[in-house]
Amino acid sequence: MSVGCNHMLELTGLAGDPASAIHRLDPRAKLMGLIGVTVVAVSAPFSAWPVWIVCACVLAAVAGTARIRPRVVWRRARVILPLVIFAAVFLPFVRPGGETIEIGPFTMTTAGLETFAGVSAKATIGVVGAVLLGATTTFPSVLRGLEALRVPRLFVLIAAFAYRYLFVVVDEVQRMRAALASRAYRPRNLRHAGALGRVATALFLRTYARGERVYLAMLSRGYAGSMPQLEPLSFARADAVFLALVVGTLVPARVLIGAAV
Amino acid sequence: MFELLALHIPDGFLSNWVAALCWLPATAAVAIGLRKSTAELIEPRIPVLGVTAAFIFAAQMLNFPIAGGTSGHFLGAALAAILLGPWVACVAMAVVIAIQAFLFADGGITALGANTLNMGVIGALLVGYLMLWTRDLLPKRRGAFLAIAGAGAWLAVMAGAAATSFELAISDTVPLGTVLPAMLGVHALVGIGEAIITVAAVGAVLATRPDLIAVRDLTLRELGRSLPTPTPEGA
Repeated sequence: MSVGCNHMLELTGLAGDPASAIHRLDPRAKLMGLIGVTVVAVSAPFSAWPVWIVCACVLAAVAGTARIRPRVVWRRARVILPLVIFAAVFLPFVRPGGETIEIGPFTMTTAGLETFAGVSAKATIGVVGAVLLGATTTFPSVLRGLEALRVPRLFVLIAAFAYRYLFVVVDEVQRMRAALASRAYRPRNLRHAGALGRVATALFLRTYARGERVYLAMLSRGYAGSMPQLEPLSFARADAVFLALVVGTLVPARVLIGAAV
Repeated sequence: MFELLALHIPDGFLSNWVAALCWLPATAAVAIGLRKSTAELIEPRIPVLGVTAAFIFAAQMLNFPIAGGTSGHFLGAALAAILLGPWVACVAMAVVIAIQAFLFADGGITALGANTLNMGVIGALLVGYLMLWTRDLLPKRRGAFLAIAGAGAWLAVMAGAAATSFELAISDTVPLGTVLPAMLGVHALVGIGEAIITVAAVGAVLATRPDLIAVRDLTLRELGRSLPTPTPEGA
C-alpha cells in the first residue's frame, strides 16, 4: 500500500503571508480570478504560447503578492502534475498529423508534440491556479464564495459537512490501513481486494454513526441550518481592482494574441 | 507503486465544446439529486450526504494492486448509488469531485463537468437503476442482490472509462482507436477490484445495517423520498 496519500491533506490550507493583499481579498474575487485565468488558458488554441505566458505572469504576480514561495507551489503541484504529464507524454506517439519524427523504434508526430505541449501548459496553469487559490483562501471561504456565486446552497452545505468530517475520516482510514498492515495484509493480486470492502463498510458505519452524533450535538447547541458567519462577505474596492487587473490583463491577451496565432 | 488516477481529466485535455457540453448532464443530474434530497425536507439528509461524501473521499485511498506494479483504487460511485439511491448519489459524488478539484487541484476546474459525469453521474445512475430494475425480476436473495451490485460496479467503471475515452477522442486530443482499448483494458481490471470491494462492502452492510441500503426497499417512485433515520449506535 502506498503512503503517498498521507501527505495529501497536509498539503492543503493557507500558505504565504496570511495578511497579504491577496489573502484578504473577497473569496468571490479570487474564485472569479481563478476561473478567468483557467478559462482563458484552456480556451486558447494550441500554439498560443504568448497567452499562456501572460497567464503564467498573472499567476506569478499573485503568488508574489501573497508571498507564496515557489517551493510551496511546487510541493503542492507535485501531487498532481506528474500524473498529468505522464498521461500527456503518450500524445506525440499516438496522435496523427503533421510531419513524423523517428526516434529509435518510435514515431512521433509534430501535431502530437504540439498537442502535448499545449495540453501540458494548460493543465499546469490550471493546477497552479487552483493551488494558489487553496494557499490564499481557506476552504470554508471558498465555499462561501461559491455560495455567493449562486452555487446551490444545499450543495455548498453538503460540501461543508464533507469538509468538516474529511480530516477525521481520513485519519480513521489511515488507522485502518495501519491495522491491516500490522496484520500482514499485503494484497498481491485482485482477489485480495475483498478485505478492503469490509474495511470500507466498517469505515462507512463508523463515519455514519459519527456524523449522526455530531449532527445531534450541533442541533442541541442551536444549529439551525447554517453556520453563524462572523465576518460577512464584502466585495470592496480592493476586490474590484484585483479583478479589473486580472481581467484587464487576460482578456486583451486572449483576444489579441490568441486570435493572431 | 504507480497509482492509476487517470480518470480525473485535467484542464486543457478537452476541447472547449466538449468541456462545456459535459457540464449540462452533470449539473442536470446534480440538480435532480438536490431536489430529490429536499423533496420532503428531511433535514438530517444534509449531514448524512456530507459524511457519505467524506467517506467516499477517504475510501478512495484504499488501493489494490492490478498488474505490473500499477495499482488502482476504489472509486465508490456504485457503492454510493446502492447506499443513497441513484440521484442523491450523483450529489455525493459531485461533492467529492469538487473537493478534489478545489482543495487538491486534482481534476481541472473547466473539466469539472466532464469529471462529475464520468466518475459520478454515469456510474451512479447506471448502478442505481440497474439495482432498482432487477430487484423485482430476481428472487429476493442475498446472492442475487450482491451479484447485481458487483456487475453494476464493474459496468460503472467501464462506462466511465469509455465516456472519458470518447470525450478525449471527440476533443481530438487522442485518436479513439488508441485511447478506447487502452482505457477499457486497464479499467476492466480496475473494475474487478471495484466490484470485489463493492460486493464485500454491500454484503457487510446487509449483514449489519440493511436499513441503510436505499435501493433495497424503495420502489422506483419513492426513490429519493427518504433515507431511514439512523439509530444512534456506538462507533
